[in-house]
Amino acid sequence: MNAKTLRALAPLVAVAVAMMVPLLVTDRFVLKVCTFAGINALVVVGLALLFGYAGQVSLGHAAFMGLGAYTCAFCTAKLDWPWLLAFAAAGGVAGLGGLILAIPSLRLKGYYLAMATLGFGLLMSLAFTEAEPITGGVDGFTGIPFPSLGPLEIRSASSLYWLVWAAVGIAVLAAHNITSMRPGRAMRALHGSELGAQACGVDIVGVKVRTFVLSALLAGLAGALYASVVGFVSPSVFTLTASITFIAMAIVGGTSSLAGPILAAVALTLVQYVDALIPGIPRETAQTIQSYQEDIYGLAIVLVVIFAPRGLAGLWRRRGVSGETP
Amino acid sequence: MSEFLQFLVAGLKNGSIYALIALGFTIVYSATGAINFAQGEFFMLGGMLCVSFIDLGLPLPIAAAAAIIATAAIGAAFELLAVRPLAGDSPLRIIMVTIGGAVVIRQAALHIFGPDERALAPFTAGASLKAFGVAVEIQTLWIWGLTALAVVVLALLYRRTAFGKAMRATAIRRDAARLVGVNASMMVTVSFALAAGLGALAGVTVAPLTQTAFSVGAGIGVKGFAAAILGGISSPISAVAGGLLLGLLESFAAGYLDPVYKDGVAVIVLLVVLFVSPQGLLARAGRVKV
Repeated sequence: MNAKTLRALAPLVAVAVAMMVPLLVTDRFVLKVCTFAGINALVVVGLALLFGYAGQVSLGHAAFMGLGAYTCAFCTAKLDWPWLLAFAAAGGVAGLGGLILAIPSLRLKGYYLAMATLGFGLLMSLAFTEAEPITGGVDGFTGIPFPSLGPLEIRSASSLYWLVWAAVGIAVLAAHNITSMRPGRAMRALHGSELGAQACGVDIVGVKVRTFVLSALLAGLAGALYASVVGFVSPSVFTLTASITFIAMAIVGGTSSLAGPILAAVALTLVQYVDALIPGIPRETAQTIQSYQEDIYGLAIVLVVIFAPRGLAGLWRRRGVSGETP
Repeated sequence: MSEFLQFLVAGLKNGSIYALIALGFTIVYSATGAINFAQGEFFMLGGMLCVSFIDLGLPLPIAAAAAIIATAAIGAAFELLAVRPLAGDSPLRIIMVTIGGAVVIRQAALHIFGPDERALAPFTAGASLKAFGVAVEIQTLWIWGLTALAVVVLALLYRRTAFGKAMRATAIRRDAARLVGVNASMMVTVSFALAAGLGALAGVTVAPLTQTAFSVGAGIGVKGFAAAILGGISSPISAVAGGLLLGLLESFAAGYLDPVYKDGVAVIVLLVVLFVSPQGLLARAGRVKV
């Protein structure tokens, strides 16, 4: 079996393994943790497109996730919309938020784009707290129904897991198609040199806006899934810390890759729930690991940026084969 | 009228703090062209270190000076360890490394100082001064005095000493400065130390009024950046003006509209300035392309 077949088979094997998890894992809490990993992975797929391919920073992705979560919560719990419609609306509202931020940000890059997205994230988390009639304010939004597809309500731990990871699968498929074709080449060109890309006829404005909107939309869908799976949303979930966690996953995962960031999202999510995953682990050890969890994120960012700027994906990618530009 | 004056005093008090943080941003920006996303953590370190030095039994002036010097040293170390390896690299990586560094500093503070809010006693005891129906806390006078002192010392340092000229030469053109014998990379380290020291000074002077905790860095960092960009990131004088202006805007918005807006104002100012005029409103436009 040569390297090419291996590369083609790897995603299939990964999907098979991901789908098997509920059959092998019986503990409901562990399954829930794996579901959260999927939700984070969905956000990170969007960030991978934006950051890893197009080279644009967002320090406000938790805000898009929050927009999606509150939209889905409001539409299902208050307006009694069918879940799928609310789910689509969540993606739509978050995508619209992305558009509203992306258009005035077009002339910003680097530090200033990062600051603008950070500011947007802070503004939205203030809005989530203050817009009490819609969001429930500090106390949060309770009583969000489980997802349902038509008459079929999805409420068991394993079916929620499958729903979330199916969404991740579809997102990855879509993202893979985008990145392996013309838009993906345009994104990478943008990452390499904005002027160069423009000179080659890349519509850099269009690429930037579309990538930003798509990545906000994916975060919104992830937020909708989070709201429906947990049944409760509070502003403390969608903070700057959460945005930094997502960007940490994207950085550690690596640039110009989808598999790397997804793997990093899963790994860094599991760190948070180490006590549930390793049954025999002493309580103190688990607590120590959990209290150092953010340290792990911070250090991971610093070390990866300094020593392995292309992240996990760069480490396993053989030199010369893929011919990526940094 | 007295209400207006009271808001004015409050605005200028917070504005002085923002001005010190904003100065930190402009100093690092002039030396490196980079924005240090960890700038707010130096403010936090100043306050928290000062509280812990006082817990150890040091008198306030020594504890405050030690906290500022220690934070400046941490700022220099931060530059050497995290930023130096990326010198001249893409902004993307410098953004990332300073954000990661900010998380590491904040978490270290959490582990060392604990999660609780801490307060400092006012520098000098005494009732608030009252004039024209306005109450001014003694600590506010300390904040104004020390901010003014820091700005004057900094201006003298930059304008009158050979060292300051070397700093400015590096900011104008790094390779030309190196050609005439300036140790440019040391100037970058020193600028991080200066920025960290100014942040720490702000953290120490405001701690008696607002309490401090390991987590205050990110919020004040954003406000300081908003102040810097409001004035114009490339000029120290307009950064100070931007800080005072931001403080006033916040104070009047909170006072006349709704206290809810207090934290929103800085973020809205930040976004509006970035979207409308990223060169800053007060600096001469068109000099720096962002």
